[in-house]
Amino acid sequence: MDALLESLARTVPEAIVCLGLLLVVVLDSAGGAARRAIGPISVLSLLLALVALSRETGAPVASWSGMIASDPLSALLRALILLGTLLVLLSFDLGRSRELKGLGLGEFHALLLAVAFACLLLASANDLVMVYLALEMVSIPSYVLVAYLKRDPRSNEAALKYLLFGAASSGTMLYGLSLVYGIAGTTSIAGVSAAMAGSLPAGSSFGLWLAALLVFAGFGFKVAAVPFHFWCPDAYEGAPTPVAAFLSVVPKTAGFAVMMRFCFEALSLQRGGALALVEIVDWPQLLMWISVATMTLGNVAALTQTNMKRLLAYSSIAHAGYVMMGVVAMSEDGGRGVLVYLFTYVLMNLGAFGVVAAIHASEGSFDLRDYAGLHRRSPLLALAMATFLLSLMGLPPFVGFFGKLYVFGAIIARGPEFYWYAGVGAVNAAVAAFYYFRVMRAMVIDPETGTAPALSLGGREALALCALAALNVLPTLAWGRVDEWTRAAMVLLPR
Amino acid sequence: MSGSLVQHALLLSVALFTLGALGVFMRRNVITIFMCIELMLNAVNLAFVAFSRSLGTFDGQVLVFFVMTVAAAEAAVGLAIVIALHRHRDTLDIDSFNLLKW
Repeated sequence: MDALLESLARTVPEAIVCLGLLLVVVLDSAGGAARRAIGPISVLSLLLALVALSRETGAPVASWSGMIASDPLSALLRALILLGTLLVLLSFDLGRSRELKGLGLGEFHALLLAVAFACLLLASANDLVMVYLALEMVSIPSYVLVAYLKRDPRSNEAALKYLLFGAASSGTMLYGLSLVYGIAGTTSIAGVSAAMAGSLPAGSSFGLWLAALLVFAGFGFKVAAVPFHFWCPDAYEGAPTPVAAFLSVVPKTAGFAVMMRFCFEALSLQRGGALALVEIVDWPQLLMWISVATMTLGNVAALTQTNMKRLLAYSSIAHAGYVMMGVVAMSEDGGRGVLVYLFTYVLMNLGAFGVVAAIHASEGSFDLRDYAGLHRRSPLLALAMATFLLSLMGLPPFVGFFGKLYVFGAIIARGPEFYWYAGVGAVNAAVAAFYYFRVMRAMVIDPETGTAPALSLGGREALALCALAALNVLPTLAWGRVDEWTRAAMVLLPR
Repeated sequence: MSGSLVQHALLLSVALFTLGALGVFMRRNVITIFMCIELMLNAVNLAFVAFSRSLGTFDGQVLVFFVMTVAAAEAAVGLAIVIALHRHRDTLDIDSFNLLKW
């Protein structure tokens, strides 16, 4: 009983989100005036969860019989997940959305909270059983969210593709997990790590290689890495814009969380405050090739897109490739790079999707050609979009610059044999700048056809976009604090 | 005796998994693809049970229950999406769902 209460005390944020989710379901079925409380209740539960998370104290421990890791790393990643969900709910004016018109918003909030709850679990999963369960708990409500526009065949088709890819890749991952279990003899990540440090039976090298490859299929699906990315552009295009924005940041953060824990804790040895490779499987090599393919394909495919949602989908694929650089670096600095990148990515990508949603709410179009003359029709939107795009590009003084700085720094610190990898990343960043500038050119330079009237922008949207744009610059002024947070979260204990 | 039993079970699971994965790529009917995914998951279950037996621990067998439950939930959502799609179009051929393209 004591152990149970202790475990519960370490998962208060999860409990709050879960209660909020149940409350939303009850209020939605009550109907009438109660439904108006759904939005505020969702926001409130996320805020309370963030407060509870910030007050969490105590030594790193594995709670819930070793299923959940409560440590500084999971705390920071959970904070990012809560922040991302909160920003999605605050910055998208769901009532004004053309896509969601006539559809109940109660289920929408409930599903969003369900995915957020599952992401919290995935970010602190400490056992292969939990990894699988949390991953599926993220996926299944996500499929429903993508299919939310039930009368729109595109939304249904997107959900079907998402589901087929998701189910196949999670089955593949599960086969990998069964091999890990067979080789290590346990499902706990700490146990797997201990087994790797000991002497493994002869001939398990091939098995572990295969296991790593299969497990990366599951993680790669969650973070939309090549070759498990095919669902991503279709799902983003078919899904309602707030859902696409949400999927591009929150489950991706959780996917990288579990990838980091699996790679750094199960497949690496911690020796004297540094990570050492398990001799029999060279997973950074494998991940490096996935990362190179991911950023290159994402950027090249984004060059020719004219639908803004597809463009942002390919851009998010490319960004996943950069974040993976931090994991390949296999060091404290690399882990810190992943955290910084994910933090900045939440701010810049949600902003970009916010502008796309605002334009769709008044114009009903996702086509880049309809963005012509935006600087005249709505200077605020054009300016906000420019901020987010420059941040995505990775230019200082916007926060996106720091994400790239950290991961590239961590890769270069690994030595000359990784310089070419950093070079590929740099070339990719330049290619990416090309299509981000193309969007800006469409907004400012491209000739307009006819004289379209000024865009109408809701007060809430304007406020949210201004706040997000400010968040893309302001952290630069107090970067020491952000650096301190990530430094505290990514600590390898000397053993 | 038990060792070779486990080996046979693992071989069968690899064969089932391969069949399932091939089916996912080669079949064109959505329902058949779903069945192939179920085949992959059941191959995984077999592998877990076999490893569990050879290791003498129950972790793997417990996981099988979770896998079956999750597979049922996934099938429920999947079939709901298929019904929604079928309302728009009178086919279940995967190649005909081509509204979203490069």
